[in-house]
Amino acid sequence: MRKYANAALAAMLVAMPFGPARAQALRPDQQAFRALYKELVETNTTLSAGDCTLAAQRMAAHLKDAGYPVRDLHIFTAPGHPKEGGVVAVLPGSDPKAKAILLLAHLDVVEAKREDWTRDPFKLVEEGGYFYGRGTADDKSLAAVWVDIMVHFKRDDIAHRRPLKLALTCGEETNGAFNGAKWLAANQRALIDAEFGLTEGGWGAMDEKGKRIALGINAGEKLSQNYQLEVTNPGGHSMRPVKDNAIYRLSAGLLKIGAYDFPILSTDASREYFSRMAPLTGGEMGAAMAEFSRAPQSGKPAAVLAGDPRYNAMMRTTCVATLINGGHATNALPQRVTANVNCRIFPGTTIEAVRGKLQELVGDSQIKITAQAARSEASKAPPLTDAVMKPIISEAAKRWPGVPVIPQLEIGATDASFMTPAGIPTYGFTAMFFEPDGSRLHGLNERIRANVLYEGRDYLTDLIKAYAQ
Amino acid sequence: MRIILSATLAASIALPAYAQTRPDQQRFRTLYKELVETNTSLSAGSCTLAASRMAAHLKAAGYPDADLHPFSVPDHPKEGGLVAILPGSDPKAKAILLLGHLDVVEARREDWTRDPFTLVEENGYFYGRGTADMKAQVAAWVDAMVRYKEEGFKPRRSIKMALTCGEETSTAFNGAGWLATHERALIDAEFALNEGGGGRLDANGKPLILTVQAAEKFPQNYQLEVTNPGGHSSRPTPNNAIYHLAGGLMKISSYRFPFMANDITRAYFGKMGPQVGGEMGAAMTAFSKGNLSAAEKLSTDPSYNAFLHTTCIPTLLSAGHANNALPQRADANINCRIFPGTSVEDVRAKLKELVGDPEIKVTVSDTRSEVPKGPQPLTPAIFKPVEALAAKMWPGVPVVPFMSAGATDGAFLTPAGIPTYGVSGMFGDPDGNGAHGLNERLRVKSVYDGRDFLYQVVKIYAQQK
Repeated sequence: MRKYANAALAAMLVAMPFGPARAQALRPDQQAFRALYKELVETNTTLSAGDCTLAAQRMAAHLKDAGYPVRDLHIFTAPGHPKEGGVVAVLPGSDPKAKAILLLAHLDVVEAKREDWTRDPFKLVEEGGYFYGRGTADDKSLAAVWVDIMVHFKRDDIAHRRPLKLALTCGEETNGAFNGAKWLAANQRALIDAEFGLTEGGWGAMDEKGKRIALGINAGEKLSQNYQLEVTNPGGHSMRPVKDNAIYRLSAGLLKIGAYDFPILSTDASREYFSRMAPLTGGEMGAAMAEFSRAPQSGKPAAVLAGDPRYNAMMRTTCVATLINGGHATNALPQRVTANVNCRIFPGTTIEAVRGKLQELVGDSQIKITAQAARSEASKAPPLTDAVMKPIISEAAKRWPGVPVIPQLEIGATDASFMTPAGIPTYGFTAMFFEPDGSRLHGLNERIRANVLYEGRDYLTDLIKAYAQ
Repeated sequence: MRIILSATLAASIALPAYAQTRPDQQRFRTLYKELVETNTSLSAGSCTLAASRMAAHLKAAGYPDADLHPFSVPDHPKEGGLVAILPGSDPKAKAILLLGHLDVVEARREDWTRDPFTLVEENGYFYGRGTADMKAQVAAWVDAMVRYKEEGFKPRRSIKMALTCGEETSTAFNGAGWLATHERALIDAEFALNEGGGGRLDANGKPLILTVQAAEKFPQNYQLEVTNPGGHSSRPTPNNAIYHLAGGLMKISSYRFPFMANDITRAYFGKMGPQVGGEMGAAMTAFSKGNLSAAEKLSTDPSYNAFLHTTCIPTLLSAGHANNALPQRADANINCRIFPGTSVEDVRAKLKELVGDPEIKVTVSDTRSEVPKGPQPLTPAIFKPVEALAAKMWPGVPVVPFMSAGATDGAFLTPAGIPTYGVSGMFGDPDGNGAHGLNERLRVKSVYDGRDFLYQVVKIYAQQK
């Protein structure tokens, strides 16, 4: 998943090089963390070729080395999904009455094709101050930090009143495949029981120069829903083209979807977000944010905001074609062509309403549009209580004075959508900051700044210490 | 490949069961069934197996091992073939070569009404992948070779048969190309008979014309490719690889390549005109007399349209790597059938100009064979036997020279000095018989009559002085 809370001053500057000098300056604990992170990134956990179970076993080995007894390490796989396993680790607290904190992260990553990437996506490459590789940000940055914190608490005997629970799961990135978080919520509810949980989302925003602008926390998320477009045709020999061609039909339909903008919508959280981001952003964009937060339906500010893909996604349902596939031979007319359209549905809009709109847009009854299996129910965000927010805000104020913590509508989807409805309010919050390119999550050459990762780790370690007491 | 001679609307008429099967036809049917039911698609089949099954029939008929040459190359163990020779009595006479491909286009069970690899006879049709393209003719070649041997037929010319793999795949191993390069002496012949010719029925199953194919369009694939940094699909950007590609495809869809004509197409439409009659027939006659604007009317029929100009059509589409990620790559394969005289590069440049989008890279995929120079001469020695036999079997049905829109392995043999003609005697329906498509089929009567025709016409050629 990802989020794009941030502001966006388009500076023309290239990222500052850190490089080898920085690597040598690492503290011993950072070196150990880097090795763990590298091991995790280099364990391929894609659905097609990877193995989450192996990654879970490797992470469990670190916990075992740190002194966790085997009974507190629960490696799990569901029948039929041997490579989509995960691990739950439990560190009991000193107060038997205190409820646990759940540290949730997903092990799996989006597919990455070596030939499309500049570097091997399954090698951790540190270059120019960035870590490159699939999962460096989404979500192995957080998964590695959680494991590292669990190790630290045990090995260094850090005081903690509440139990800490770690859940590393598989299947967050795949709609329709096995989802470990969902499985735990349904089958191991007691094991993961907690007062609240933290997971990915709520990433911080920084500009291209690495200046931190704001830290986000999720206050609601859009629903991710896939739709399949399908055209079938009798086909035939390609030497004898006929007018009715499945690829042309699908192309025409997709172009109509591509040209359409869903209506502008807002929630309390999104208006507050834009209101607070306005002064931090400034300029024309800042003015548009301020105006939007007062009068979201007026049209003009929304048009300015829509120029930035991050803000556009926070104002409306979006649908985009992500996969197409068709034909069976180079010399035959296509008999079947399909496309996947991935929609991010604004809270309050139904899956069927979006399907109906897509069907209306393509305007072609030969294009069959079906909603794929829903990933989860549309869920409401848990309330941002003082108990959760105060430590977040005070830790941020200590480290990054002047960088506000802003609730926001998550435009991606996270596994919080399984935990919160199961009674474990789960917050999308990391202390990792992304540049306007969104850290290239799910895309080519995914990366995260090395200092963002190390400082985020320090922040989260202190935050969990505060929560645990 | 297949020839699709035609126009008119396909009426769905249930044909009577072909009841009066002769014993020799029953035997042929068993061989044809065995061949259709031997999957020879590239993905899951084996041409080598099909070749060895066909060789077994020849061996059983009395061919010595010395005259049977199964072949396959080490890197393509399942893409083998067979050359068989029935020696001629006149050492000075050059051989004739019967050429056929064993392989078939891919077919997915779930898309078909019936199992594509089971021969099903239903309502007067044989259904199955390869029933038309081209296992009926291959089975007829093998059947004829078997019968000649069994009858003790002593041809003046040697009769050679080459069954090959890879005709349907543009970049996989091509057996005909391999033979032309590596076993040129083995297959040497004055000329070759191959798929590409045939007959056309009207919607009621009445034969209209029989063709001899003497030219073909050149098949060429082009790749359209768009790359993009991609990203998370929760954050769509205006620059999307799929939309770029779709936009380019729509521009190709609305373009028509200029009409062209050559001696073969003019002769073809000249003979078709009176047969077809009406407005369409008049347009054909006009076209044959050099009126290129008559092509406008002819192009309304997809089969005729293919003979009139270069055509390009997308056949494969692929993009994206995850349902929740913006596509980093989008590709389409455009299959073009290039009219003789136009270059591969001309068409690429035109496609590039049409898409008009620097984000779309247009490249030439592997070229299948040499670009043919143009129609090869259709001499009386080739044409007359077909005409004479057709006059007996199908009185009143004209025999016409033909340029096929599809490609055949003739593209490998003709440049190697073995001029190759499409002659089959099998009559197809106006709808294209599902060749390369779903539910491929051929009329039972067409198969049996075509078999009789080929058996006899080869004998005539083999005795030619």
